[in-house]
Amino acid sequence: MKGALAETVTTLSHLPGVLAAMVVGASDGLIVETSAMKGVALGAADSRKHTAALAAYLYSKVTRASDTARLGTPAFMRLEAEQGQICIVGARDVVLVTIVTPDVNLGRVRLDMMKAAGNKS
Amino acid sequence: MSHPTVAEPWVAKPLARLMEDARLISGVLLYPTGKAVGQFGFSNAADVMSVCALTSAINASARELGRQLDGKPFYEMHHAGAERQVFMARCLAGSQEFLFVGVFDQESSFGVVEIYFEEFQKALEKLSPETPKPGVGPSGDFEGELNRSLDKLFGPLGR
Repeated sequence: MKGALAETVTTLSHLPGVLAAMVVGASDGLIVETSAMKGVALGAADSRKHTAALAAYLYSKVTRASDTARLGTPAFMRLEAEQGQICIVGARDVVLVTIVTPDVNLGRVRLDMMKAAGNKS
Repeated sequence: MSHPTVAEPWVAKPLARLMEDARLISGVLLYPTGKAVGQFGFSNAADVMSVCALTSAINASARELGRQLDGKPFYEMHHAGAERQVFMARCLAGSQEFLFVGVFDQESSFGVVEIYFEEFQKALEKLSPETPKPGVGPSGDFEGELNRSLDKLFGPLGR
């Protein structure tokens, strides 16, 4: 199980433009498996733990909104910010989270995240 | 959501922020001796008194357990119940140590509570008790100290 999660993280993190890929507990927001964060200087603050917790929290709220609107479970969630994007896909007890650059091939990231989530569920 | 009531005003702002950001249902900040410094989510002094006494005892037990099992004290504890979860940890302001215990449900998560508690710890580290508290060490009058701090939180007629 842990090996499969590590493989998922490795596959996603090797996509061009992916700065970090994580598997995060859906209910507790804790990191289960993560890649290293690219482009962060040694000794600089590591934002992965915070990003993971808040992304899982955000996904749970979006799921509730989607349920309330009778749209079912969200398939893919993307948060676009000034200097990059956060992509989230739910896979039962975990959520897959990637932090990507603004110019990433989003179609490829989406496809691979959905495929990985499909393998988890 | 109720605002924190505090026995020491300097903790009011960081405590309110922790409560809001981490979506906590209730929480108490206390000295390791069991004396309450601030609370939110409780409406009567007896509940806070119980929480303080239990947190103080659990903290002492967890530290000793950590020493025996891992060679160093356990400073953080998380218990996930069926619907509600308890988070307990220590923080420092100057050289003074405090304990915090908070309760949350599915509106928050352990990860979220943990990251906002880290911010709370950092906020508290920058502050310090307004006046040194000579009575914060074990004075032997545990019940008296507890009652005095509860009087500050709820008023003398609150119990």
